Amino acid sequence: MNLLQEIWQSIVRRDSLSTDKGKSELVFLNVWLHIHPAKVKKENMKFRHSFYLGFITFFLFLILITTGIALMCYYRPYPPQAYQDMKDLQFVVFMGPFLRNMHRWAAHGMVVCVFLHMCRVFYTGSYKKPRQFNWVIGVFLLLLTLGLSFTGYLLPWDQLAYWAITVGTNIGSYAPLIGGQVRELLLGGHSVGEAALLRFYVLHVAVLPSLVILLTIVHFWRVRKDGGLSRPVWKLKPERETLVTIGAPAEAAPLTVKASTTKTYGLMEVVTGKPIFETVSAEEEEDTVFSFPYAFVREAVTLMATVTTIMVMSLFLNAPLEELANPAKTPNPAKAPWYFLGLQELVSHSALLGGVVAPALMVLALIAIPYIDRNPSRRPRDRKWVLWLFTIFVVANLVLIVIGTFFRGPGWALVPPWVHVVGGAE
Amino acid sequence: MERRLQQLFFALSILALVLIVAAAWQANTPSWKTYQHNFLQLEAQGEPNAVAKAAVLATPPEIHQVMLTGLQRVDRCTTCHLGVEDPTMKDAPEPFRYHANLGSHIPSKFGCTICHGGQGLATDKEAAHGKVAFWPNPLLSNDYIRASCGRCHKEGDVPGVPELTEGRRLFESQGCRGCHKLNGVGGSIGPDLTAEGANHRAPEWLEQHFLTPNAVSAGSAMPNFHFTREQARALTYYMLSLTSEEMGSYYSSVRVIPGPEYGRKLFEEKNCITCHNVGGVGAKTGPDLMGVTTRHSLEWLDEQLVNPELVYPGSSMPAYDLEPNARKALVAYLNSATPADIQLLLAHKNHPLTPEDVGIEAGKADFARFGCAGCHGTELQGGVPNPNAQGGEVPSLLHLSDDYTKDEVIAVIRNGRAPPLDNTAGPTPPLYMPSWKKVLSDEDINRLADFLWSKQEKKKESW
Amino acid sequence: MNRRTFFKLSWGTVGLAALVSAIGVSLAAVVRFLMPSVFYEPPQAFKIGTPGDFAFGAPQFLVEEKIYVFHDRDKGFSVASAVCTHLGCTVAHFQSDEKFHCPCHGSVFAADGSVQHGPAPRALDWFEVTLARDGQLRVDKNKVVPPTYRLMV
Repeated sequence: MNLLQEIWQSIVRRDSLSTDKGKSELVFLNVWLHIHPAKVKKENMKFRHSFYLGFITFFLFLILITTGIALMCYYRPYPPQAYQDMKDLQFVVFMGPFLRNMHRWAAHGMVVCVFLHMCRVFYTGSYKKPRQFNWVIGVFLLLLTLGLSFTGYLLPWDQLAYWAITVGTNIGSYAPLIGGQVRELLLGGHSVGEAALLRFYVLHVAVLPSLVILLTIVHFWRVRKDGGLSRPVWKLKPERETLVTIGAPAEAAPLTVKASTTKTYGLMEVVTGKPIFETVSAEEEEDTVFSFPYAFVREAVTLMATVTTIMVMSLFLNAPLEELANPAKTPNPAKAPWYFLGLQELVSHSALLGGVVAPALMVLALIAIPYIDRNPSRRPRDRKWVLWLFTIFVVANLVLIVIGTFFRGPGWALVPPWVHVVGGAE
Repeated sequence: MERRLQQLFFALSILALVLIVAAAWQANTPSWKTYQHNFLQLEAQGEPNAVAKAAVLATPPEIHQVMLTGLQRVDRCTTCHLGVEDPTMKDAPEPFRYHANLGSHIPSKFGCTICHGGQGLATDKEAAHGKVAFWPNPLLSNDYIRASCGRCHKEGDVPGVPELTEGRRLFESQGCRGCHKLNGVGGSIGPDLTAEGANHRAPEWLEQHFLTPNAVSAGSAMPNFHFTREQARALTYYMLSLTSEEMGSYYSSVRVIPGPEYGRKLFEEKNCITCHNVGGVGAKTGPDLMGVTTRHSLEWLDEQLVNPELVYPGSSMPAYDLEPNARKALVAYLNSATPADIQLLLAHKNHPLTPEDVGIEAGKADFARFGCAGCHGTELQGGVPNPNAQGGEVPSLLHLSDDYTKDEVIAVIRNGRAPPLDNTAGPTPPLYMPSWKKVLSDEDINRLADFLWSKQEKKKESW
Repeated sequence: MNRRTFFKLSWGTVGLAALVSAIGVSLAAVVRFLMPSVFYEPPQAFKIGTPGDFAFGAPQFLVEEKIYVFHDRDKGFSVASAVCTHLGCTVAHFQSDEKFHCPCHGSVFAADGSVQHGPAPRALDWFEVTLARDGQLRVDKNKVVPPTYRLMV
């Protein structure tokens, strides 16, 4: 019995979880958990503040990695075997359809959740100092997520995939000067073919996931360093902390840090020049609880809810697989993946303006937001203008996507979804 | 709150367990397993004793597949159609019944979808029979299934499928090539038909199209040829057989090797003797073919039959539209051809040919080969409707010499011509004379004109 | 134990059991997923040609099938596996000593396939060869026969 205890102790190396020390050590001494603080602020973990969209996105990404690796075992990235492999997944591989469905719905879910997460961060003003750059990283993560979805779209090598990618890469080719080259680089040729499939595959399973993982690590690290999830707007207090001067290494000038009345500061805060907790007042201190189990149980519930939701969808909704890609026969209309349909809608009006200028400006504007919006207040009543502007931006995007998805028929003609068009293709 | 969350977590865990078990159960009970179970029951009935019965019933379920590597096809039909090769199953209920009358076409070697259509990769009934969305090639109905024979048996008669022979004959004699390309030869007014069978049109659509083109394809430029039902059926069979997949050679690489008998037939059909001779018997325009197989390599001969100009610059030999096996057969025949045999061949022809006749014959052959008859009629009588063209129809070619010189006619064949309009404000007529200068050499066109002039009806009026 | 603790206990136990089994079933499902249901491989039984294709004397090596076909004037056909029983390298048949030599770890097999030297644990396999109805020789790798097996045509 003693030996068993010793083995267990050698693994966990912490005190019992019934003690505060044990609870802290669980987080501190564990490489996987120490991205959490030992204690979290209760209010910041409120569901109605963040809707846990960041967590959900991360968990969807985990589902995608797991199912993606499994699917890789049955996929050969060259036509027409790629299509045959999809059929094999559908008809002979045990639970093949289920895993493919999970991958598909998790991917769509991730695009949606990344977008919603961005909206949440904007509306709560959480991108403001000192989190400006983390917002920029988030924008890049959004772009990588779209890139992952887009590259994954081609892999089944069916008509839907083939023409969505043809249209999608052609949108890119309208970029001035480099457009043509970028498309050639992406496709490994002038049209979507064997080379394109291989390149998209490499991007999809190696390059882009690695980048997402790298940026996610930075993203989480910075969230943690900036004091965890942002403070709910309704909990913001008037700034009334005092400035204190504390001792610093010999040569350096004394540091001035924000401090509360109750908290003492260790070396780490001195080194970084800022406290781990932004402003900690006495009443807020009462508000903090140990991460175990308070934060962990919430994360675990979120994980299970995400997984089960995707499983339910996968059990009842099948991922589409159309006919084998046929370069000689364009379906009418040929549509890009839904999240690019806003873009396609714009391109249908002006290739250069809609396909290049508008999206480039959109991305630039998103990146620039925390540096343009210098208003320090996170309260909605102080930032009405900005909120309105962003809402218009979001709604415009959604409207374009809805038009592109539901209101465009053969020949990209405006057709309401309730009107059935007969024989578009011939 | 904390308690509730824990309970929610555990409830979700239970839900996850239920879902994963449901998914696994769904994956573990595919419909084909039921069919295999039923088949084993059927097989066990035939076993004499309990031990043998038990052995049969203990066969583990598995997916059966026929791989046709050369064709990039995998057929899993035999996963459910388990008795197709077992004669004792000849009275069994479907899907277990024995497939009779297959001859050498054993399913385990030839697959199923190659003739029947459907989705070979699928393992559930509806998907496998191809009656689902996004599978363009459903099972062919029994009325049309024999058309598939023509996918491999591309030349000559197919025993039991007179429709194919008739379809091919109609296609060549009615001048379909005038508007439609087939294997690179033909006009471009209508769609290329080289892979028409791979378009997976419904057979019924095709048949109706031959009877009344406008009924199924509004505004079609295709004239109504007033085919009979049988003729429409025959042409439909022919269309269904055109897939441009090299199936014949795939299977012949396994079994059938083209022999000299077929080559002899081709030699006669293609009128090789009109130009060539064998040991002095025949015409002298082209070289003597006696011993040609020893003078040249097989590759050289094959290439010569595909593209004479390339092998022999300045050669006046036309390029024949022969598939690889036909070329092999022809070379095989040339290897064994004797003057005596050629005498025999010539004996079937009614009269010896003069060099002039040879030219006219060649022109006549081109007239048929390039589908001129499609619009101008097999007897040059014209008469195919062409709305808003002068006269409202394609002109007859029997009175050309009244209005044109031979050179003028040659110019029209060379350069093509849009028909003069009946009503200049009206729509463009659907049919027009295409330009042939890229397809036919000047010599060919001259011969065509010679042929046309040989058919001119003399004016009745005289001084 | 009062009702409260019982309720808590049962919730916890059932929930944890469900979680553990869900993970277990998922892992099992992934393993089953990875087990191939169909094989894209050459069949184990195949035809190798007519008896006339094989000369008497030295065995003919069929590269793809990895077999040696022996055609003896008096005794007939026999087919030996060319796969070393040690670690699967392809053995070479030397005409000089009429033995099979494995290049990987030096195993030597006698003319009847028995191990003479080296690490090979057992003799080379001999496969059943029959005459199919179409006159071709048919080899079935699923059917291992004793080295004395011969097909006389």
